[in-house]
Amino acid sequence: MLCIIALVVFAILGIFSATHRELAWEALDCVTRRVTLRPCTSGFKEKVKSKVLAVLLNRSVFAARVFNRHFELVSWVFIILIILSTVYVVKGAYNFYFYASCNGLNQSGFCAFDPSGEHNKVTELSSTCGIVPKEESNLTLEGVEVSLFPSIPGTSDDTVVFIGCYDCEFTRKAYPSIQKLVKKHSSRYVFAHFPAKEHTKFLSEIGHCVYKEYGDRFWAFNDRLFTGDRAYVHDRNALDALLTEFGFDIGTISTCTEKPETKREVEQQLVELKKTNLYGTPTVFVNGTAFVGPKPYRVYSWEFTKWW
Amino acid sequence: MHEYRSDFPLLNADNAIPPVYFDNACMSLKPRRVLDAMNTYYTEYPACAGRSSHRLSEKATQKVTEARKHVARFLNSSREEEVVFVRNTTEAINLLAYSLNLAPGDRILTSDKEHNSNLVPWQIACERRGAVHSIVRSREDGTFDLEAFRTLVPGAKIVSMVHTSNLDGVSIPAKDIIKIAHEHGALVILDAAQSAPHQKIDVQDLDVDFVALSGHKMLGPTGTGVLYGKYELLQGLQPFLTGGDTVEYTTYEKHVMLPTPEKFEAGLQDYAGIIGLGEATRYVQKVGFATIQARELELNAFITNELKVIPAIRIIGPQDPALRSGIFNFYMPGVNMHQIALMLDETAQVMIRSGQHCVHSWFKDRGIENSARISVYFYNTVEEAKRCVDALKKISLLF
Repeated sequence: MLCIIALVVFAILGIFSATHRELAWEALDCVTRRVTLRPCTSGFKEKVKSKVLAVLLNRSVFAARVFNRHFELVSWVFIILIILSTVYVVKGAYNFYFYASCNGLNQSGFCAFDPSGEHNKVTELSSTCGIVPKEESNLTLEGVEVSLFPSIPGTSDDTVVFIGCYDCEFTRKAYPSIQKLVKKHSSRYVFAHFPAKEHTKFLSEIGHCVYKEYGDRFWAFNDRLFTGDRAYVHDRNALDALLTEFGFDIGTISTCTEKPETKREVEQQLVELKKTNLYGTPTVFVNGTAFVGPKPYRVYSWEFTKWW
Repeated sequence: MHEYRSDFPLLNADNAIPPVYFDNACMSLKPRRVLDAMNTYYTEYPACAGRSSHRLSEKATQKVTEARKHVARFLNSSREEEVVFVRNTTEAINLLAYSLNLAPGDRILTSDKEHNSNLVPWQIACERRGAVHSIVRSREDGTFDLEAFRTLVPGAKIVSMVHTSNLDGVSIPAKDIIKIAHEHGALVILDAAQSAPHQKIDVQDLDVDFVALSGHKMLGPTGTGVLYGKYELLQGLQPFLTGGDTVEYTTYEKHVMLPTPEKFEAGLQDYAGIIGLGEATRYVQKVGFATIQARELELNAFITNELKVIPAIRIIGPQDPALRSGIFNFYMPGVNMHQIALMLDETAQVMIRSGQHCVHSWFKDRGIENSARISVYFYNTVEEAKRCVDALKKISLLF
């Protein structure tokens, strides 16, 4: 077994060092012999053991003695650790590829493939938004009335529900991938603005009124809010100029937003969104599966293409 | 001794930690003059000896002849024709095992510490020709049991024994053995691979019939060796390698062999090696056997006194270092001695041999897995011995 581990270790080290390359070849010879039920003749085990003992002996006689006496046990422990590490690495790589996180879908925690954790970052909701624990397992569309929100019907059976905040950098990062996803798979698309940042609450009313008054012309406006200058969400004058640019009557929009009925409808939308137990934006539901944070396109797409 | 060390390139290499070479029983280091002599052959007169008549060939012939004379002088042979150049001791003994007249029932006597080169050829000769092989067992301390030999020698045709054992450094009382063997009409062959570099071999004084030795253990190049034999005995032997340079002339039907030594030296020889070997014998004689033995005893005594106190160490052979030439061979029960040798190299750059030293029969007989052998020569120092001993003491703490 030592030969197998040594082969892996020295093969990697051998990329950079000629000395280790020779040891890798010896380990390979040993492995080949062992798997064909022949004894290893190169004395490889003794060589490796001696090299390690020589280093230990110069540092600590006690450590060298322990290593020498329990060499087999130490070897096995090392082997098991390497196997476990390999399993974790493979699992991490699998999770990263399919879920953009080494630890699983929507799981934070360190990931060597994504050290900054970009794919799981969200703008967290303020404490006034909900008291449900931030657990991915709680996220759900069960009992949520998605018909209250702007939607585009699709030609397939798939549904994408995109809950985001216009001023959330992570929502804005996820937006292009979601648009690509919906377009490619012709899925039904529902957009819900959730004001993760308090100052964007008025945008929920404006968006609702634009959709109510002008129908599908809302989507181009919605697209500009996500892809255009962020000034639109901070500066009311800039937003008014944008509304005018799209041919929306500012007076009509303003009148709509001030109606008690509009406020009730927007409040109802927020109540429905809270039923999802979301804890940050963006939160995307692809066929009911929740994705929190800006994932790479492949992660969303896999939800459509996986066969299980 | 320092003036000799400067002659050896390995001992003067630019190393941060100079290596300690304690594997002289396997192969000795080579002094610069031996290397220069070989190099001179290749650069100045790289021609065939004894064939062409141009000046380069004549020079090569002259140098080879000189080398043969040096070796003859080294062995105190009365005639240079008694010196046959071979590749090593193994080839020399194989030549004898092949060529000596053996009939079914003839007995061959060896010791119980023979190198495989002086055991296997006789075992095969016995298998092929129906001869019988007997062993003279050593005493408990590894010294030669002359009384046991006296008991076994009557009726023996050949006595072939290792002069100094590569296992434990013990030398047999060669002169007594030869005298007794001759009294019973037996021929005596000495495997002198381990003795020729360390003690004077006077073939006339010993009255030995054949001596086999290797050049690589006595400062000479690898691939060189000598078979000495009494002239009349060599003349009566048939060579097992024949061809070019072994014949006076040939026709399509027959050939006429040259006399010894040429008839045994078939084909183009390793002239550079032979010239180097001649130079090596001169160097050894220049150093002198008294100096060599004094240094070996000093080093072996130091090593023995330092290591015999370690409980785990078992010395192979007599405890007295004066009886073990320059060899300190030891084992530690339950310990793989290859690991000891490897660790000695890794921790202190000390080179020793580990294993069964081509004397498998001895180890098998006693159920010992392997041993580690320290073998010194005149160019080694007490400082080197101390480094070896200190490292071994540290390593022994692991077991």
